[in-house]
Amino acid sequence: MDKKATALLKLIYLEMFGYDMSWASFHVLEVMSSAKYLQKRVGYLGAVQSFRPDTEVLMLATNLLKKDIVNSSIPNMSLPLITLPHIITPSLAMSLLPDVLSRLSHSNPVVRKKTIVCLYRLALVYPEALKLAWPKIKDHLMDDQEDSSVTTAAINVVCELGWRRPHDFLPLAPRFFELLVDSGNNWMAIKIIKLFATLTPLEPRLTRKLLRPLTNIIQTTSAMSLLYECINGIIQGGILDGEDSLQERDEVATLCVEKLRGMIVMDADPNLKYVALLALNRIVATHPTLVSMQQDVIMDCLDDADVSIRLQALELAVGMVDSDSLQLVVNRLLDQLRRASMSANEAIQSAHAETEDLSEGSPTDGPGADTLVLWPSDYQTEVVHRILDLCSQNNYSEVVDFEWYVAVLVQLVGLIPPSEPEEIADQDSMTNSRMNAALRIGTEIRNVAVRVKGVRLEATRAAESLIFVDTRSHFFPTGSTIGDGVLGPVAWVLGEYAEYLLSPKRTLQSLINISNVSLHPRTVSLFLQAIPKVFVRASQNGKPGDSWKSEMSLLLARVVEFLEALAAHPDLDVQERAIEFLEVLRLAAEALHSETQEVPFLLASVIPGLFMGLELNPVAASAQKKVVLPDSLCLDEPFSPDLPGLFRNLDSSAHELSTRDVIQDFYNVPETASTKQTLEFTPVDAQSHTSYQNFPGDASAGERRKLERRERFKDDPFYIAPSGESSGTSTPFHEILNTSNGEGLDIDSIPIVDLKLEDEPSHSANLDRSRSRRVPLSKLAVAADETLETQIDNSKPKGVTDGQPAPKRSLLQVDSSSLDRLALSKGASQMSADEGDTDMIKAMQQVEEVRLRMQRASERIQLEGTPAEGTLIKKKKKKAKKNVDEEPAEPIVRRKKKKIKGPEKESDN
Amino acid sequence: MINAVLVFNNNGQPRLTKFYTQLVSPRATPRTTADSAPDTPTHTVTQDTQTQQSLIAQIYRLVAQRPASACNFLPLPPLLSQGASSSATGPSDTPTQITYRTYATLSFIMISTSTESPLALIDLIQVFVESLDRMFENVCELDLIFGYETLHAVLGEMIVGGVVVETHIEKIIAGVRAQEGSLGKRKAVQAASAGLGRGALPGLGAWR
Repeated sequence: MDKKATALLKLIYLEMFGYDMSWASFHVLEVMSSAKYLQKRVGYLGAVQSFRPDTEVLMLATNLLKKDIVNSSIPNMSLPLITLPHIITPSLAMSLLPDVLSRLSHSNPVVRKKTIVCLYRLALVYPEALKLAWPKIKDHLMDDQEDSSVTTAAINVVCELGWRRPHDFLPLAPRFFELLVDSGNNWMAIKIIKLFATLTPLEPRLTRKLLRPLTNIIQTTSAMSLLYECINGIIQGGILDGEDSLQERDEVATLCVEKLRGMIVMDADPNLKYVALLALNRIVATHPTLVSMQQDVIMDCLDDADVSIRLQALELAVGMVDSDSLQLVVNRLLDQLRRASMSANEAIQSAHAETEDLSEGSPTDGPGADTLVLWPSDYQTEVVHRILDLCSQNNYSEVVDFEWYVAVLVQLVGLIPPSEPEEIADQDSMTNSRMNAALRIGTEIRNVAVRVKGVRLEATRAAESLIFVDTRSHFFPTGSTIGDGVLGPVAWVLGEYAEYLLSPKRTLQSLINISNVSLHPRTVSLFLQAIPKVFVRASQNGKPGDSWKSEMSLLLARVVEFLEALAAHPDLDVQERAIEFLEVLRLAAEALHSETQEVPFLLASVIPGLFMGLELNPVAASAQKKVVLPDSLCLDEPFSPDLPGLFRNLDSSAHELSTRDVIQDFYNVPETASTKQTLEFTPVDAQSHTSYQNFPGDASAGERRKLERRERFKDDPFYIAPSGESSGTSTPFHEILNTSNGEGLDIDSIPIVDLKLEDEPSHSANLDRSRSRRVPLSKLAVAADETLETQIDNSKPKGVTDGQPAPKRSLLQVDSSSLDRLALSKGASQMSADEGDTDMIKAMQQVEEVRLRMQRASERIQLEGTPAEGTLIKKKKKKAKKNVDEEPAEPIVRRKKKKIKGPEKESDN
Repeated sequence: MINAVLVFNNNGQPRLTKFYTQLVSPRATPRTTADSAPDTPTHTVTQDTQTQQSLIAQIYRLVAQRPASACNFLPLPPLLSQGASSSATGPSDTPTQITYRTYATLSFIMISTSTESPLALIDLIQVFVESLDRMFENVCELDLIFGYETLHAVLGEMIVGGVVVETHIEKIIAGVRAQEGSLGKRKAVQAASAGLGRGALPGLGAWR
């Protein structure tokens, strides 16, 4: 056995290096059951490190654990207590709960504190445990004679539980308060403050009570962690952002900011700097002016040697910047980027010279002082993003000088760090949540050109300078994807505002340079769109005559050559556009060859006419949703009231499957729109089909199978419907139109809402508002997004069901959501009055819970003879008496109500 | 709560890994791993250890990049940040903080949710290291390898199930001594493990 234990210990050590040891779980169990303590300890350690809740031998371990928990020696019994949190499952928790509970009253505080924590973890997987354990934990908490470490453990557990069900812990506030003021234990004080931060939003009176001691601690304490947590608690508890503007509140805010400033300035400790910035970031939302007074310090942090600190400062800068400080901040960041790219170049050179891996060694021994530290490229990208965020927030409300901004944008293009190779791999990353920095810069240039008429000239010139082929290599090193992102929007600007171009011909030649073919298809298609526009512009330059003609035909020939190269482009969009323009331009070329001295009509007015039209204005992304739904179009009403009848008719004849297809499509629609009565018919229908129609060799069998498959997969997000069928469930609206057409509904009769794009009442209103808000100094108007100002709230598309998607879980995250639903004895059903289905679901869950609880309680009474439920109620009464002024006997009433509600709901169903 | 405690040396070799919450298994969340893990779900446990390893590697990479003067807080590595929500307001179950501290050749890492105070965690690491120092008398990396059990015992006295239970060094030491000193056979087991270990364990690093 000794040998086995030693071998196991080594195996555990190996497991740490990533070797699987799940095969040894039975051996772990063997060693666990050893009589010798040290061997047992090895076994339990093995269980902690390797067992998972789904490990099968756990079932066999239950008895062993039971035995060890009630062991007389303290080390022996704490082994299962510290192991249980790692391996606990609901069933294990249920069977071990009585044994663990009995340990709460053990004479040794070491056992008690471990038990308390163990019970907390039990409750996470098995919420019922908390119902029984909580009164006892509370007793330990309230007991003044209790060992301080047990109290601390209890506070820690309450702090973990606190944010999930803050209501339940509100009555304990006086005791927490007492502990906070009297204990003098900083660890505990930190936790209590954390706890109060979650309690104060529920009980406004707490704020006043807390303010004094917290201020006192802030002013007197020497422990930085406690000081920071006090400030943090004040911020998070919402003490600063109450609606009534107390004199005290501002004083506290000022005090906090002063202290935070002190943390940044006085100490060289980077940790304090970091947390202080973290706290400032939270304050900035409510007290921007206070924070911006600390601008000097924060700006220094922007140049700190530590990336984490810089990032925090950067975020803070975005929050506090106003039109005065904007240029200062951005210029500073630009400087930083410039230095970074310079030092990066140097580093590359020196790395080549010394053939030494710089990234491996500590960066400070790189060339020069710490200003030349190599920053990771994602930090640089972040800076670029932040600069753009800074300038574009609130529709450019803070930017005063747009010429400066355009210059900044052009500089930024050269400063984007080379992107990582994986970004090239999936091109969709551009459309993903956060746009790639290059594309963003391009879009910004376009935005400025569209929105700010005053600098359109400058923006176009800037775009022009970016597109020239001969300078392009300067901005975009070969092999990077930066060009793809920037050039697309830039090309659009060139085409749209071709009249501002410095030299259209040179631009055109850059646009049709043959190297462009290798760009990203989306960029190329934008190029294509710009080419004829710029060409028209170029053709309008100069006097009509022979020289002009020959020049034009030369240009045209080159353009045609470029387009021909693209006519076989693999991307369909590019191909289509290329061929379209190719034909038009060929016509133009023919017209040029005619003998007249005049400018051919085609070139003079037809092709320009293609692109002349209304001024393009930015449209808000949500404007589409605000289009009023026509009165006569009802999305919820079924087209035929007798749907089942229709299907019955269809069943009789297999020939009509094609029409059924249409109806099936329609049939999917109301389902996504969550009308429930039609849902019930689906399975019946499908089954009746399969019973007599699925003959092998039947011509329609394939079709049928396909339909069935689609039926099965239509809710599966991983299944993509075949493109031939128009039945993407994601476009129910489109389908309704389809089917309604099929049934002979006249589409013209649907009234079309006049969007009034010409009048633009909302637009001008927005514009006026933005103008009036502006500082009188600036003469440039920024066009706001156009949108309809209708207040009808049909913004929610019908196809989207109300149920929110299951929240994504992070690695290592413990799932405590079951605790959310659990009601502690006193704080019974806190159901908020939600409307709709969620309410019903909740109610059902609660009914189920109550029923289970009652069932279990009755079982327990029979088994143990101790009325568990009875003691609980007694405790509650005591509590109610104690806090008469706070919550007069409400819990009992609530609980009764819930019990009554249970059977009622059941009878409903 | 504390989600994990890790210790590794300057070369990224783990010296202690303790996960207080289970790593989300691929079966529970097919979405997060569907694109990255083509393995069959029968190898859950293997994947589990593999995820742990890649997490350690990611954190090590972050720690190694940082100069000694930098602050003790790490940004979230890619494995952890995928599920983290951006809203940093109220507490949640998602691990959001990584605190680390480097002593000589060893780095101590704590992954925790926002209910832990960042500065307190730094102090906690300090307490942990001081307790180890008391246990081993001038602790060094080799002590942690040969005193692997004791290392876990010390941690077990401080943190149970991700919740801090003790911060007094005296009480922690007393707890561990009670475990180890109570039996005279301790020496024998340790000698056995150390005797064999001296041949085998140092070679471990070279395997990787």
